[in-house]
Amino acid sequence: MPLVKTPKPTFAQKLKRFFMIDLIKGLGLTLKYNLGALTDKDAVAGKGIYTEQYPKVRPDVAPRFHGAPRLNMDPETHDTLCIACNLCAIACPEDCIDVIPMDVEIIVAGKPRRKKVLDEFIFDTSRCMFCALCQEACPTSCLELTQDFELATYSRAGFVWNREMLEQGRETVKYTS
Amino acid sequence: MLLLAPVDVLNDLLLKLGLSADAIKHFVWPLIQIGLVVTLVALWVAYATYLERKISAFMQARLGPMRVGPWGLLQPIADGLKLLTKEDFIPENADRWIFFFAPYIAVASAFIVFSVIPFGPDWAVIADVNIGLLLVLAVSSVGVLALILAGWSSNSKYALLGGLRSSAQMVSYEVAMGLSLIGALMFARNLSLSGIVAAQGADSIWYVLYQPTGFLLFLISGIAENNRAPFDLPEAESELVAGFHTEYSGMRWSLFFMAEYAAMVVVAAVATTVYLGGWYFPFVYRLETGGHHNLYVLVSTLVFLVKASLILYLYFWLRWTLPRFRYDQLMDIGWKWLIPSALINIVLSGFAIFLLQALDGYRNIRTIESVQNGLNLTATGKGIAIAIGVVGLFATAALLARINWRSRDFHLKMQRRNIRLVNVPKGKPAVQPGS
Repeated sequence: MPLVKTPKPTFAQKLKRFFMIDLIKGLGLTLKYNLGALTDKDAVAGKGIYTEQYPKVRPDVAPRFHGAPRLNMDPETHDTLCIACNLCAIACPEDCIDVIPMDVEIIVAGKPRRKKVLDEFIFDTSRCMFCALCQEACPTSCLELTQDFELATYSRAGFVWNREMLEQGRETVKYTS
Repeated sequence: MLLLAPVDVLNDLLLKLGLSADAIKHFVWPLIQIGLVVTLVALWVAYATYLERKISAFMQARLGPMRVGPWGLLQPIADGLKLLTKEDFIPENADRWIFFFAPYIAVASAFIVFSVIPFGPDWAVIADVNIGLLLVLAVSSVGVLALILAGWSSNSKYALLGGLRSSAQMVSYEVAMGLSLIGALMFARNLSLSGIVAAQGADSIWYVLYQPTGFLLFLISGIAENNRAPFDLPEAESELVAGFHTEYSGMRWSLFFMAEYAAMVVVAAVATTVYLGGWYFPFVYRLETGGHHNLYVLVSTLVFLVKASLILYLYFWLRWTLPRFRYDQLMDIGWKWLIPSALINIVLSGFAIFLLQALDGYRNIRTIESVQNGLNLTATGKGIAIAIGVVGLFATAALLARINWRSRDFHLKMQRRNIRLVNVPKGKPAVQPGS
């Protein structure tokens, strides 16, 4: 008297069990994956290889992914596009941007004038939540969040990026072999 | 031409060096053979681990080892170097000497078997012992001892449980393994492994056709004997950490690992020899008649390795498809299915041979050609033997399914209830409420 009532197997089910159809099906499935991996036919249908060879082959991130910040420069003169307007720092909800301007003397139409230019730009990536509101606020398309995602460092201080790092970008090891 | 005639060239060279023909035949050549076989088997074992990782990766839509060498081909070497340089740790309360020697017993018992395996004809077999199969069974069963000793001497609960499980498992599957081979021996009339291969060659058939039941039984009990999934209870990761080699590290652990893979290769090689015709393959013999003797030996060896590797692939395939058996299911399969069906197989094989002998000469039916080199059957005889083999496989399975159908699912609670219910009238609960 079973504790739980189980339906009696039909003749077809008994036959299935006798000839081990389910076992053969399981073996067929693994064989299908194995052959699919060898020929690498179709990764979407579940037959190819899903593994990404990450350091060798860099993955394609989603188009709307926000990663490491960057300060863009004028491609011809290589001067920074930043006008030190501080709008990004105001827009930042995490308060992780510090724009430090300085005044320089320039001659405009023969008269000495003072102009506010960028001296230092501090971006704390450890506090950044990559909302890209700073990118939205920037009037000159200078500050931009790129698709680079390797932001790990060995110390907390390494998360704070200065102007040079923001303009040049982090050095990343490239694996080729 | 040096590659194709290494034997004759080396023989001449040694003779010129002043060695006697006897010394060359009984001392130099066996040493060369042993060196070759040990190298070959060690490489095979190392690359079996690589293949296992690769195949398991492919079956799970992964890539497997890729970083060491092209496609990770140097991974076994890197693994070996890593394990060699690791600390050889011995637990404080372990039985030091037994702990020391258990891995050596495991490796030795796995590697000694290769001395009688015929990898090919002529010089590709080290020792053609006339009780080769008996030696294989005897030596490979010493491997159990290593596992038990390792489990016992580690002084760890997981290791001890693993050792106990492996002893129970291997003892119960050893019987089925030995019995399953007897049917094939009846057809081969020979215990020497080379003799079995020669019998299949003379009959130009693989014994898997005469003995499908025996082949399946041998494979299943071989997998269980090697503690491979789905019978890997002695080293069940999820229950026993790593089973009998939990406390081992470094080179000693890798010796156990090597022993496991070498034992797998042994079972694959014996299955190939006894059931898949060994190194025989259609049309390869033309090389011998064409006068390329050494090339023939090499190609035959290659055929043997390919056949054994296919069985190894089956091992990997089963491991990465099937989940592990429960302990009681394991014992169930061993004692209620494999051993009875092995016995039935022996009886059926005897019946088949009796029928063939009885039919021979009856109303001009010729079934047996000769009994010089194994049992050589004519086409009619082969048909009868194959028919009995295939029908016997399903008949055995059906008979055992009928016998075992009640005890297929082990349910202790239900069985206790049934025992209590023996004299209770129908419709009444087993235990009176409130009693």
